[in-house]
Amino acid sequence: MSNEMSCEQVREVAAELAIGIADGQDRDAALRHAATCNECRGLVADLSGVVDDLLLLAPAHEPPVGFRSRTVNRLVERPPRRIRWRPVLAAAASFVLAIVVGSAAMYLASADERRLADSYRAVLAQGQGSFFVAAPLQGPDGTIGTVYGYQGSPSWLFATVRGPAAGTQRYQVRLTTKSGQQLTIGSATLGGTHNSWGAALPVGLIDVAELRLQADDGSGDLVAEINATDPWSSG
Amino acid sequence: MRSLSDEALLAGMGSGDPTAASAFVGRFQRRVFGMALSILRDRGAAEEAAQETFVRAWRHAVAYDSRRGSVAAWLLTIARNMSINMLPRRRPDPIDPDVLLALQAPAPARDDGPLTPVSEPIREALVRLPEEQRRALVLAVFYGFTAGEIAELDTVPLGTVKTRIRTALHKLRSDLGVSDEQ
Repeated sequence: MSNEMSCEQVREVAAELAIGIADGQDRDAALRHAATCNECRGLVADLSGVVDDLLLLAPAHEPPVGFRSRTVNRLVERPPRRIRWRPVLAAAASFVLAIVVGSAAMYLASADERRLADSYRAVLAQGQGSFFVAAPLQGPDGTIGTVYGYQGSPSWLFATVRGPAAGTQRYQVRLTTKSGQQLTIGSATLGGTHNSWGAALPVGLIDVAELRLQADDGSGDLVAEINATDPWSSG
Repeated sequence: MRSLSDEALLAGMGSGDPTAASAFVGRFQRRVFGMALSILRDRGAAEEAAQETFVRAWRHAVAYDSRRGSVAAWLLTIARNMSINMLPRRRPDPIDPDVLLALQAPAPARDDGPLTPVSEPIREALVRLPEEQRRALVLAVFYGFTAGEIAELDTVPLGTVKTRIRTALHKLRSDLGVSDEQ
């Protein structure tokens, strides 16, 4: 399957996508297409709803005697765990940070606003961009990393975590635009040796309200509020 | 607690309230344990998977987003994934006959409280599917089998399995009244 899918190709894999058994290449290509196609996005959402309904058909069985009390005791004994993060950043994130921190250091060292502005503009001009933003990435237990955004052609987002949890976790990456549109733009794996994720966006960064990394297993989402404003606009 | 919605009870559990947690477990324990038992076919392993499912729900209740589906579907997805992860390896024949029988039977009496109602139309639509389509869909949805794994298990071409899964799910969508027209 090529990197780009047509509506017909998405329709062929939409069922496997909704069930969660599509292979990675098909899943990523289909999600990229669905992010910009209302019809295909609606189809995948409908089929996902059917899968949810099917799961409700699972037969019920009476658990062993004492199951409820044993389970509740286990819950009370295990309050929400705080994730330990290692102070390691991915190389690409370090590059982004080097730009930001380097610029800030230059500002502090020389207090030369014009040099800072020149450096900033030079970086942006290289990619025909207009501005960067940064926002905290929030997990169930608080801030776990940072999301960097770039308004350009294309716009992109890059998320880093301060160190992954022991096990890997796969996420569906979703955007909410300022107009309320929901876009799925691919998947991400974090945890283990995976400290970062990044992708080009099907919309401008200026249009993005929220980035949400939705865990495949239904556990905690990672969320960043973007809501960037154009620093070059008047007012 | 009996009159609280599933969402309200989950929110209470998410706040760390043991009473709400106990009510939540009581409401969903038969279905979570049933899902785990159907996949693992071992009561001890199923209890471990079911308990771990509730631990996950307890720790991540605040992350639940009602726009993405019902509490029951969210919880059963966790239970299914937890159980699949606990399987030591793929069973040569993973279909538990009780699962299919239960799928074809009327919904049994449920636990206390306002669980998300089981959809009889989807049960009936599932039963109306050709057996080979229903089997492929159940293997994929309940056991997480990929099309390739089903093709190997049933010794049929991969394309045939993909068609069966796609046709089955689209048929259910159609039978439930969701039109292809946008």
